[in-house]
Amino acid sequence: MMFNGPADGASFSKNLEDFDSIRSVLLYSDLEPEWLDEIQKNGELFYLELSEGEEDAALIQANACHGVSTNHVRFSEKEAEIIIEQNKKQRCCSRVKGETALKKLARILRRKRRPSQRKGGGGKDGSKDSTALTPPASILKNQPSQRQGVSVQQQQQLKEVCVYLNPKRLGGSSSAPLSDSGGLLEALLGVIHRPSWTRGQGASTVLRQEERLTVHGLIPNSPAIKCGQILIGDALVAVDDVDVTSENIERVLSCIPGPTQVRLTLETVAHVDNGSAGDAPSARRTKSSPPVSQLVRLLWGEDTAELQMSIGHIPHVVMYLSLKLDSTSTQEEEEILYQYPVSDASIQLKAVRGIFLTLCDMLENVTGGRIVSSSLLLGKHLVHVGYWKEGNNLLVVGLPAERVPLLYLQTVLGDVVRTLKVMYGSLDRAFCKSDNTPRLDHFFCLFFQQLIQPSRLRDGSSTPPTDVSVTLFLEGLPAVRWLTLPPEIKVEVDSVLSDFESSDFGEMSEDFFGLRRLYVILGSCLFYKSYLIANHLPKEDLLDVCLYCQHYCLLPLASEQRVGQLVIWREVFPQQRAHSGSSSRSRAVTGFTPPHGRHFLLIVGLRHFMQCVLLEAGGCSSPALAYPGPDCVYVDQVKATLLQLEALEAGIEERLNAPPAPCLSCADWFLPAATARDRLDSVASSSPVLSKLSGTVKGPSSGSRGRSLFGEMSRRCSPQRSLSDSGSEGQMDAGSGSSSSTVAGFSPHSTPDSARKLERRRDSLGSGGSDGSGGSGGLFKTPRMKHPNPFYLGTLKKTLTDRETEEMYTTMKLTSGSENTLFHYVLMDGVQGIFIAPTHRETAQLSGSIHPQLIRNFHHCCLSIRAAFQQSLPARSRRAAERPQGGGWGLGPVKEHGVLFQCKPENWTDQRKPAPTMTYWVIGRMLLEPIPQEFYVCFHDSVAEVPVEMAFRLSFGLAL
Amino acid sequence: MMLQDGSTQLLCLTATSGVPLFTRGASRQLPFSIIGSLNGVHMFGGGQEVVLSSCETEGGGKVVWRVFHDSVMLIAVSGSGHGGAGSGKEKEAHLQRLLENVWNCMVLVLGEEELVNIRNVERLKRDLRSCFNLIDQLLEEKQEGILGNLTHCADSLLPPNPSLVQAAVDGFTQAADSEFGCLLVHGRMVSATEKWWRLAPQEIVLLAALMRTLSASGSSSCDYPVFLPHGSPTVAHRLLRFQLLPGADVCVLCGPTPSLQRAQSGLVVRFWAPLAETLRECLTVGGRCLPASVSLHPDVLAFLLINRETRRSISCVLCSHTTTKPSAAPVLSNGRCWELLKLFYNFSITRYFSQEETLCASQDESAQRNTTEEFVRGFTHQPLQCYLVTEECKSYGLQTAQHQLFLLVPPSVPTFALRTVATQTLTDIVTATGF
Repeated sequence: MMFNGPADGASFSKNLEDFDSIRSVLLYSDLEPEWLDEIQKNGELFYLELSEGEEDAALIQANACHGVSTNHVRFSEKEAEIIIEQNKKQRCCSRVKGETALKKLARILRRKRRPSQRKGGGGKDGSKDSTALTPPASILKNQPSQRQGVSVQQQQQLKEVCVYLNPKRLGGSSSAPLSDSGGLLEALLGVIHRPSWTRGQGASTVLRQEERLTVHGLIPNSPAIKCGQILIGDALVAVDDVDVTSENIERVLSCIPGPTQVRLTLETVAHVDNGSAGDAPSARRTKSSPPVSQLVRLLWGEDTAELQMSIGHIPHVVMYLSLKLDSTSTQEEEEILYQYPVSDASIQLKAVRGIFLTLCDMLENVTGGRIVSSSLLLGKHLVHVGYWKEGNNLLVVGLPAERVPLLYLQTVLGDVVRTLKVMYGSLDRAFCKSDNTPRLDHFFCLFFQQLIQPSRLRDGSSTPPTDVSVTLFLEGLPAVRWLTLPPEIKVEVDSVLSDFESSDFGEMSEDFFGLRRLYVILGSCLFYKSYLIANHLPKEDLLDVCLYCQHYCLLPLASEQRVGQLVIWREVFPQQRAHSGSSSRSRAVTGFTPPHGRHFLLIVGLRHFMQCVLLEAGGCSSPALAYPGPDCVYVDQVKATLLQLEALEAGIEERLNAPPAPCLSCADWFLPAATARDRLDSVASSSPVLSKLSGTVKGPSSGSRGRSLFGEMSRRCSPQRSLSDSGSEGQMDAGSGSSSSTVAGFSPHSTPDSARKLERRRDSLGSGGSDGSGGSGGLFKTPRMKHPNPFYLGTLKKTLTDRETEEMYTTMKLTSGSENTLFHYVLMDGVQGIFIAPTHRETAQLSGSIHPQLIRNFHHCCLSIRAAFQQSLPARSRRAAERPQGGGWGLGPVKEHGVLFQCKPENWTDQRKPAPTMTYWVIGRMLLEPIPQEFYVCFHDSVAEVPVEMAFRLSFGLAL
Repeated sequence: MMLQDGSTQLLCLTATSGVPLFTRGASRQLPFSIIGSLNGVHMFGGGQEVVLSSCETEGGGKVVWRVFHDSVMLIAVSGSGHGGAGSGKEKEAHLQRLLENVWNCMVLVLGEEELVNIRNVERLKRDLRSCFNLIDQLLEEKQEGILGNLTHCADSLLPPNPSLVQAAVDGFTQAADSEFGCLLVHGRMVSATEKWWRLAPQEIVLLAALMRTLSASGSSSCDYPVFLPHGSPTVAHRLLRFQLLPGADVCVLCGPTPSLQRAQSGLVVRFWAPLAETLRECLTVGGRCLPASVSLHPDVLAFLLINRETRRSISCVLCSHTTTKPSAAPVLSNGRCWELLKLFYNFSITRYFSQEETLCASQDESAQRNTTEEFVRGFTHQPLQCYLVTEECKSYGLQTAQHQLFLLVPPSVPTFALRTVATQTLTDIVTATGF
C-alpha cells in the first residue's frame, strides 16, 4: 500500500504501479549494490559517483529508466579510487550477462590504480616515481623509451588533458571497425595517427621500433576534439601515466573496460621556451582545466595537497590543545592533540600556542568570561583566532581576517563545533581518537578551502563564483534555504515523503519478517538543487543535518548537473536529542522522554534530488550493535522515493524558471546611462526608465506566464476545489489579500480583469479565513497535506500544462509605490529553521555590472546587521548559563537596523558631469512576535518602506 | 573575576624588561601575576614575530595590547558586563583609541625622549605621576559632553558672535609672541587661531583635556611645559593658561617669552576686559553648544555633529522636552543619552563610516588601525547613512563629504521620518552657524 489516504485516483495509482515496479525490482533483485565494498569498518559510507558529462545528463533525463554507465568513486580513509562498473539501474532493467566478468576486470583495474591514486594524496610532483611504481601487470608493458621521453620534456612542453572515454559506445554504434588502421585510438579517442606520415618526415624516427604517437588529425565529435586541448601536431606520450607508443597504444586502450576519465599526457611543440624542467609539473597543472571540479576532487580525497599548497601563504590553523600538562608523556608536543594543516601556513600560529593556552587559562579570572577570540598580526596578515574550550581541552581556529570578519568568527566557529559534535558526539571523541585523523584532515581541508578560496573550489562548474561574505552570511543563518513550491507539487512531495517515512512497505514493515524493524525513521528532508523543498524533521535536527551537508558542500554539488549517485551513511549525534535526556524541561511538560537510541544519517542523492533521512535505532526498533553499515533496504527505499519524485522535476523546474515571485529589480536599471538624465528621483511613471524597468520584468515572464506563487495560485484552481479546500488556502489568500492594494496600484502590470481578481480574492479571504496556520511548526504537517485531494493530484500534469497557456497573471510586489524597487531579500523563519531568498537563477537573470556588487554588499552588510541582532539579544542558545545578560552590548536590544549605500558606475570617464549615483537601503528587522523571524531587505532609496510590513507580506510565502 | 563590571584598567610596563610603570583605573589593582602574564604572552609572541593585538572574552570583556616605540607597553583590560563601551569591535576600537591617547598624553607631559630611551626606570615612574590626572580623565570620561577622546575632533562651542571672539583671540595670541592660541568655555573650544587648528587633531584634543584638568585645579593662571606628540615630541613649549571667568579659559602656546606675570598683568586685561559681556553670553550657551537662535527639531534627543574638514565637533543632549511630554514612559537620563550617543558613534564608525586619521605617526600604528577598520573596507559601495532602532531610542547617523551627524530621537518618532529629521537638523545647524 503506497498511500495511506483512502482514495487513490485512478490515474495516479497507475503511476504508482510504475513506481511499485521500481521498488520491487530494487527490493527483490538480490544484486549487491555498488557501494557495498566501500563501507568502512566503522560502518560509515561516503559514496559519490558522477554522472557522465553534461551532454549525457541530458540523455539521462530523456530516458530515465535506461541505464547509464557511471564512474564510481569510493572515498575511504586515505585514497579515492575509481571503479568502473555499470550502474545498478541498468542491471535492474536489463541484466547484463558479462557482469561478473566486468566486475573482475574492475577489480584488476582498481588494484592497478591504487598506487597512482595514493600518490595523488602525497603531492603530484612525483609523477615519474609513480610510473615506476605502477606495476605494469602483464598487459601494460613499461616501455624502455621512458628515458628518452624525460629528456624531451626539457625542450618540449607537456600538457595533461582529461578526456572521458566510453568503450560501450563502440559496440553500440557499429560492429567494430577496430581492425582498421586507426584502431581504438581513432574509434575511442578520436585521434588520427598515420604511421606512414611520420616515417616520411624524419629519418631518426624510422630507426625507432615503436614510434611516437603524433596527432595527425582529429575525428569530429570525438572526445579528443571535444576537450579542445588536443591539437594537431601534439604527440601522445602517456595515458594515465602509462607511457604509450604506436606499439602498445591499442593494448592500453583496450584495457579500459568501461566509461571512465583518463588523463592523457601530450607533448606540445608550441611554447618551448617557457618550460624548463623544474616547473614542468606546475605548468601542467595549471594548463589542464579539470573537467571534474576541484570540489568533487576534494570530496573524493584527491588533490588536497595541491589545494592546500595554494593557500600556504595565508596563515590559518586548527589545533586541539590539552590544557592538562602530562609531564610523564614521552611524546613530543603532547599538548597538541590535533593539528591541521601541517604546513608553512600554520608554523607561526603553532609556535605561539603558548599564548592561546595562557590566555585561555588566565582571562576567565580577569574579565569574568571565557576567551572567545583574539587578533594577531603575522607580518602583514591579520589573523583572528577563535577559541572553544571543552573540558580540559581547547579548540583553537585561526583564520585570516580578510576572509572572516571578527563579527562573524563566533558563528563560523560555532558551526564547526556543532558539525563536529553532530558527526562524532563530542569534540573529545572527534579529536582524541587517532584513527579519526585522516577524516579530520579532510574535514578541515574542506573547511579552510571553502573559507579561503571558495572560487577555486567552484571552478570548472557552471555556477558563478560566490563571494565569501555571501556564503558566510547564508550558511551562518540557523536556517536552510527554502524553495516555495506551488501547493499541488508541495502536497505531492510531502505525501511521497510521508509514505516513505511511514515505512510500512516491503521489508521495512514489521509484518514482513515478523521482527522488530532495524531503524525507525525519525524524519527526512528533501533538497532539490540545493534548495530545501520538504522537511519532516524537527528544526534542530534539520539544522544538524544541514550543517553536515553544508560542510561537505553537498548542496552546491547537487545543484550542478553531475551527481550520478550519492550514498552517505554515518552515525550522527543530533544535538537536540543528545541533550534532551539531561534537560528535564521537556519531560516535565509532556511527560515524554525521548528514547535513548543511536541515530544514523542516511543521505541519498540522485541527480538534483537529495534526501536526508534521520534514523533511530534502539527506541522502539531493535538496538544497533557495533557499527552497522547502511542497510540496503533503506537505501533502496530512499532511492525509489527519489525516482518517484523525479516525475515532479518538471514542475519544480518550472517553479525555478518562473519570474521572481516578489518582483526583483536590477540595480543597473536605476542608474541612468551616461547620456540619460541625471536623477531618478523625479522620474514620472511614463519615463523611459520605468517602462524599461517594467518591460524587463515582463520580459522573462512572458514566456511562462501566470506562475506567480503568491498571488494567483488559489485563484487558478477550480471553484469546486476552492470550496472543498478553502481552509487550506487561507494563508495564500491572506497573502494576496494583503498585497492586493499594492497590486492594484502597480499600473504596468495590471490587466483589465484585475478588478475581478481582486473581487475574488476578497471573497476567498472572507471564506477561508487565515487562521494563522503558518506558525504551526515543522514537526507536524497541516492536515491538508495528509489528505491530498485525489482528483487534484490526478490532474497534476494537466494543470501544469494549463498554466502555460493561462493568460492572467499577477505579480507580487513587495515594495510600495508605483515602481518596483526591491533588489534582494532574505527572510528567515526561526521556528521552522528555513529562510527564503531569491533563487540563484532569479539573481542571475538580473545580470548587470552593478547588481552583483550590490548583492555582495547586501550580504556583507547583513553580516553586520545580524551580528548586531545577535549581540543585543540576551544569549539563549550557546553557553547560555554562564553568559551574563546583555553581553556588554550597551545599546540595548536592537529591533531594526538599516544602512543606506551609494553606488557609482565604475570607470566614469565624463569629466564634465559628476558620475550618476544610485542609493539604496539595506535594512534588517528582527521580529520576536508572533514567531521569531529575521528579515533582510535591499531596495532603492526612492520609496520609504516599513520593513515590518514587507516582512509580513513576504512571510506568507513561507507557509510550510 | 578580578575586574568589576565594565571597568577598565590600564597597565603600563617597560616593553623590554617588563617592569610595571603604573596602573590606573579600577578600584582594585590586578595582581602582579596577571600583569606579568599579560605582558608575557605579548612578549612571547614578539619573539615569534607574531604581534598580539587584542583579545575578547564572553560578555564583552576585552584586552588590548600596544607597544610604543619598542619601549613602553600599554595594556588596557576591560571587564565584561553592562555599561562598557559596547561589545566586540566597538570596544576594541575604543580601547585602541584610549591607548593611543594615553601614550600621547605621556609624551605631552614628559616628552618622547624620556619615554623612548628609558635610562632610569625609578625616575620615570616618579615623573609619570604627573600624567595621572590627565590619564584618569581619559579613563573615566566623567565629564559629560566631551567626546574628543573618542572622535579625535575638538569639542567646540559655537558662540553667538564668533567674529568678536576670534578677533580677541588673534590679537591676544599675537601680543603674546605666539601663533597658537585658543579660548575654551566649559572645556570646549570656542575660538582659536588659524595655526592652532593646524595642530594634529589628537594634540588639540589633548591640550583641551590638559586645560580642563588645569582649570579644575582652581588656579587662575599657570605656565605648563608641554611637548606636542606629533609637532614637537622632543622640544617643550610653554602652555600659558589664564582663567578669564569661571568656566572660560584662554591659552597660548609660546616660547621662552613672555613670562606668565607679564602676560597676565599686561595682556589679559587689555584684550579680554572689553569682551566680558561676550564671554558671559558664551557661558550661557552652555551645554547646548549652539546659540539659542538656532532652533532644532523638537524630536532630537541628542546629537553629535562633526565637521570632517576642520576636525571640530559639536554635541549636545537636549532633554528639556522630555519633561513636557509626561506620556513618554521611560525618560532617558542625561547621562544615558551621552552614553548612547557615544555607543552609537562607536558602532557606526567601526562598521560603516570611516574615521579620518590625519596623522598616523608610524607604520605600526597604521597597521594597528587596520585591525579595526577591516570590516569597513569590505563594502563595495559607500555607506552614507545608517540607523538603529532599539528599545530605548532610535539612532540615526549620516555622513556627507563634509559632515558626520549622529542623532538620537525618542522611540515614538516613526522610523521613516528619521531621515528627514536628520537631514533637516544638519541643514538647520549648518546654515545657521556655518559650522
